[in-house]
Amino acid sequence: MTRRLPAAFGLAALALSACVPLALLGLWSVAGAWFYPALRPPTFTLEAWRALASARARLGPAALASLGLALANGALAAAVAFPVGRALAALAGWRRRLGAALVFLPVAAPPIALGIGLQYSALVLGLGGTPLGVLLAHAVPSVGFLSLYFLGIFTAFDRRIEDEARSLGASPAQILRRVTLPLLRRPIAEAVLLGMLISWAQVPLTQLVGGGLVRTLPLEVLAYVRSGQDRYAAAGALVLVLPGLAAIAAARIAARRAEVPPL
Amino acid sequence: MSGAALAVERLAAPFGDQPGLDGIDFTVDPGRRLVIAGASGAGKTTLLRAIAGLGPVTGGRVLVRGRDVTARPAEARDVVYLHQTPLLFPHLSVLENVAFPLRVRRMPEAEVRARAAHALELVQLGGLGSRPPRALSGGQRHRVALARALVARPAVLLLDEPLASLDPTLRDEVRGAILQLQAEYGAALVVVTHDLDEAALLADRIGVLLERRLAQLAPPGELFRQPASLAVARFLGIPNALPGRVHGDGTFECALGRIAPDGAALRAGPAVAVFRPEALAVADRGAIRARIVEIRHRVRDTTAIALVGETPLEVRIDPARMPAPGAIVALELHPGSVTVLEA
Repeated sequence: MTRRLPAAFGLAALALSACVPLALLGLWSVAGAWFYPALRPPTFTLEAWRALASARARLGPAALASLGLALANGALAAAVAFPVGRALAALAGWRRRLGAALVFLPVAAPPIALGIGLQYSALVLGLGGTPLGVLLAHAVPSVGFLSLYFLGIFTAFDRRIEDEARSLGASPAQILRRVTLPLLRRPIAEAVLLGMLISWAQVPLTQLVGGGLVRTLPLEVLAYVRSGQDRYAAAGALVLVLPGLAAIAAARIAARRAEVPPL
Repeated sequence: MSGAALAVERLAAPFGDQPGLDGIDFTVDPGRRLVIAGASGAGKTTLLRAIAGLGPVTGGRVLVRGRDVTARPAEARDVVYLHQTPLLFPHLSVLENVAFPLRVRRMPEAEVRARAAHALELVQLGGLGSRPPRALSGGQRHRVALARALVARPAVLLLDEPLASLDPTLRDEVRGAILQLQAEYGAALVVVTHDLDEAALLADRIGVLLERRLAQLAPPGELFRQPASLAVARFLGIPNALPGRVHGDGTFECALGRIAPDGAALRAGPAVAVFRPEALAVADRGAIRARIVEIRHRVRDTTAIALVGETPLEVRIDPARMPAPGAIVALELHPGSVTVLEA
């Protein structure tokens, strides 16, 4: 019993550290004018949440733009990283280490440094300040991160099952469609989710490549924080948290329902 | 040659970066069974993968039904290669697993279902088509993998140590399924194994793979009776090898005396006689004196190590009349069971 106490205490501390900031954000998002030293908001309002649902306010369109970018980035980065990770897993020795180091570079590089390089590239390509430019900028670190993810997946993947399918008469395209993709649907879905989350929370790359013309939710939240509009900032920040929570829930449900054992 | 389902001609296949198999030649007719036997690391899997198009070939040709498929991809060879453990697709039902080769050939749905169901009936799994593979026992998985391999009627089926990972009961079940399905579908069968008993039970002919080459290719009875070389004899587990000399009259002289072996005439000169323990028996009227130094008990027989002069020989003994270690016994040799090989 005494051994369990530190663990219980640790879990409680963890839960509090995660829940208290979220609870405070929730309170702030519906608070009226709330100033120190008041312990609780004197009045409540749903104004910030209405702004999120409104197409005329800044938060709603920004949330939609973020969602669109996240979806596109998740799909694009997973589609590129899948064959890259597979090719890396087929390598051995120094080639594999070099390949892994190369794809890790955009992940390891500070976002500001990466952003400056990407900003220049986007301007040269005429994509500066466009959603496509921002999407491609988000895709660069996402592809690096997801390539490493797929490297792990394909290292564990038993490719003999693909040999078996080939020997049974399946072409490479049929093997991909009928064997590999169905077997890896969970890791692929997780990769798309990870790619979405990377884009969803992205600030420096959006700022540098979007040049203020592409307004995403994190940028709007930051702008509200800078201008002291805490109610809007809190509502936007809560929305920013939602996909992460949804991803965790989805992963748990998928793991419980999975018919194919995880690789 | 033209009627062969599979012809392998001077095939060379590397072991990774190293030189591997070289000059492999054999043919298998439709409905026949060739077992390639060899020790671990001899290149058995390399050979099957090269034939299947799943491994590299550095020389020679592979012909299927007379058509050169050496440069063709695995899926276009009409050859199915099965791994040692059955690799069923876990995301498909048992029936869909068996239907897989038919679906990738874009056969009509009705035919796909009928042929897959028939193949499952043949392996006595007709009622389990809707189950996922994980719900099957080990033996059932093997049977499904076999049904799936043969349902599209390939010319050649290659099996890589199909019984190696099974317990004895399952071995009988899976061996029975292999023979039954192969007879039903008429594919040429090539099996690789390190187990000579399995080879003998499955094969029409056995090829012994030694030192990167096929050292001998013969029906099981002939192979076990007449190994072509000392290396083959050793691989077959023949424990007794006695050096001696062939005389001009065709007799062979060694520590056991002068014997007239069966078989082809040999050139006069140095030679080696190889024989199994049962070629030598403890017999009162035997002319060979030997001292028993060790008794060896096995499941199937009991043998003794007997010293003839300074030469140790393994001798089959009757457990009911077992001599004690140290006893001097008389041995009798059955010359018909002795193979003499030129040294």
